[in-house]
Amino acid sequence: MTDIAERPIALESDDERKRKEAYFTASQTQLIWARFRKNRSAMIAGVVLITMVLMGIFAPFLSPYDPTIAGRDKDYENGAPQIPMFWDHNGFSLRPFIYGVERTRSIETNFRWVTTVNKEDRHYVQFFVRGWEYSLIDFVIDLPGDRWDLGIKALTSDIHLFGVDKGKIHLFGTDASGKDIFSRTMHAIYTSLAVGTIGVFIAFVLALVIGGVAGYYGGWIDSVLQMITDAVRTVPAIPLFMALAAFVPQEWSSEMRFFFISIILGFIGWPTLARRVRTHLLSERSQEYVLAAKLCGASPGHVIRRHLLPSFTSYIIVDLVISFPYMVLSETALSFIGLGLKDPVNSLGVLLQNVSQADVLLNYQWYFIPAGFFVVLVLAFVFVGDGLRDAADPYASTRK
Amino acid sequence: MLQFARFAATRAAMAVFTLLLVSLIVFTLMELVPGDCAERYLAFKNTQGQSITVEDIEAERIRLGLDRPFLERWTSWLGDVFLHGDFGQSCILRMDINNLLGDKFLISLGICLAALVFAYLIAIPVGIIAATSKSPLLNNVLRFVSYLGLAMPNFLLALIIILVSTVIFGDTLTGLFSKEYRDAPWSFDKFMDFLSRAWLPVIILGWSATAFALQTVRALMSDEIGKLYVTAAEARGISGARLLWRYPARHALGPIFNSLGFDLNRIFNELPIVALIMTLTEAGALLIEALARSNDQQLAGAIIFLLTASIVAVNFLTDVLLALIDPRIRKGILG
Repeated sequence: MTDIAERPIALESDDERKRKEAYFTASQTQLIWARFRKNRSAMIAGVVLITMVLMGIFAPFLSPYDPTIAGRDKDYENGAPQIPMFWDHNGFSLRPFIYGVERTRSIETNFRWVTTVNKEDRHYVQFFVRGWEYSLIDFVIDLPGDRWDLGIKALTSDIHLFGVDKGKIHLFGTDASGKDIFSRTMHAIYTSLAVGTIGVFIAFVLALVIGGVAGYYGGWIDSVLQMITDAVRTVPAIPLFMALAAFVPQEWSSEMRFFFISIILGFIGWPTLARRVRTHLLSERSQEYVLAAKLCGASPGHVIRRHLLPSFTSYIIVDLVISFPYMVLSETALSFIGLGLKDPVNSLGVLLQNVSQADVLLNYQWYFIPAGFFVVLVLAFVFVGDGLRDAADPYASTRK
Repeated sequence: MLQFARFAATRAAMAVFTLLLVSLIVFTLMELVPGDCAERYLAFKNTQGQSITVEDIEAERIRLGLDRPFLERWTSWLGDVFLHGDFGQSCILRMDINNLLGDKFLISLGICLAALVFAYLIAIPVGIIAATSKSPLLNNVLRFVSYLGLAMPNFLLALIIILVSTVIFGDTLTGLFSKEYRDAPWSFDKFMDFLSRAWLPVIILGWSATAFALQTVRALMSDEIGKLYVTAAEARGISGARLLWRYPARHALGPIFNSLGFDLNRIFNELPIVALIMTLTEAGALLIEALARSNDQQLAGAIIFLLTASIVAVNFLTDVLLALIDPRIRKGILG
């Protein structure tokens, strides 16, 4: 008995109480954020992901040259990456520089064009140089017929992050037609993210409607919808898509292709999401607060929208983040085999299109640089998705 | 026994129903694409120097039965497939689809199944070790590897392997048969030659599947391993591999066994792209040429139907086998 009395009573300090109070009154978002912040790999992945998204959004500003055929450097085709240096045999320079290149052909080279590096000719790297004109917000819808056409251009500028004082700089080298691979990669990140976003959005809406109906009503509606979902899930999506994509008319514009691919990706992706939504709904449906709302005379739509959906918004967001890399992956795979996006549009799959050719494999290995960006992008998404999933799960710390 | 037969019969009926539904979906999609067989065939003849009129197209359409209503054509196609195993004729090549696919489909299916087996041969032991080990290093490495399975898809892995092998060995390690066996009839030598070359595509195809399976096995195992029955078994003096294998692994592997069909689906998704990179003409021609290049609705439909049918078959088999193996499910059926 005595030792209880003698034990020092744990007096809560003000700080501690405040912390506890903050914990008990925190909103769900704050709790998730607090848990997410503790996960170091997810935080790093998050920073990488945000950087990649920013790189995509500001692609025109970051890329020194136009990524389409208009920006090609006809004097440096299949050129190797030019890495800025600070010193060479001529001494040190605070401003990084690259060497100039010359293209010659003569009897010595068998009359073929040969690119030589001139080590005496320094080209200094400059920042915020003027170059080709771009608009950061450039939204164009060009459907057949004039009625729905829409074009918004804003934030037009011609300032680019870096360039060189004379000649051109190609950080990642150039491809067979002299297009700057660095500029193409930046734009490709944007395209791949955009395709993924639209695909995820479409899949999400379908999943919400179908999974929502199945989960809310249950019974035979649920059984029928589940059967259809399962049937759709058994069809191998990529072969099916290949079959459909082969029938896309060749004369379709790149924007049409872009939307077509995104829509198809959305249609491929919905069954898994729909299943998750349904399972969540089925378990929440029998809770008391739903019954209470129903007794108060709320309509099914109201109950789904105002009570059921908010109860698992965080799970839905996590699911969306997790399904994102699959979209990017499918798009890349399809573009890679030439059935997705095509050349004037730059996506990561389009950039990888030529790399399996023998001469590329042997001589121009810098074609593979975009692949690295692709791996990093998907890894970042997966780590963030995983971190979010753990953070959104209130039982994550008790379960191991 | 009777109840079990009834269970198997319901499962079989459901599998057939799924196939019907899938065939309807595939058939409809194939109908939706612009142009039909008659137009396509005559357009091809047009390029051969014959002039084609609208009447010719109409006549061809009637000859092929394309003027009949949609449902009638679907049911007759279904009847041929289910009753005679006959997929009809290819639109463009004018050849019997069964002859056209034949070996190629079986080779592709064999490679995919081998990849699936390979994936689980690695994933199950490694996953169990990962779930039981307390070493954070091992766990983090495995986590990274299984994420890499998603971030470095099979086609990228194939590209990198080809890149490395061309740079180092000067040989691309592609193709499924050596030159001398390519058109030879099947023989023991041809089979050995096939095996000596097929291992690389099998590993590449199995790569992503392995990474995924690893993650699943680990998650399921670590869910089971903390449960009371494991502790109870341990208290009875069972330990080590015997404990793991006899108690938690049996529970954990049930759901995995059940999802084999969907793993096969994922491998099918990768097959055409890997086949293209590795120039597996025998397996790749099937998918790429038929689906993508030749715009052949009949052939494309047949291929997708066959792929789906193999997934449905795997799903059915695993369902029935699981009922045989797992006493809980058996009890559920027998009532």
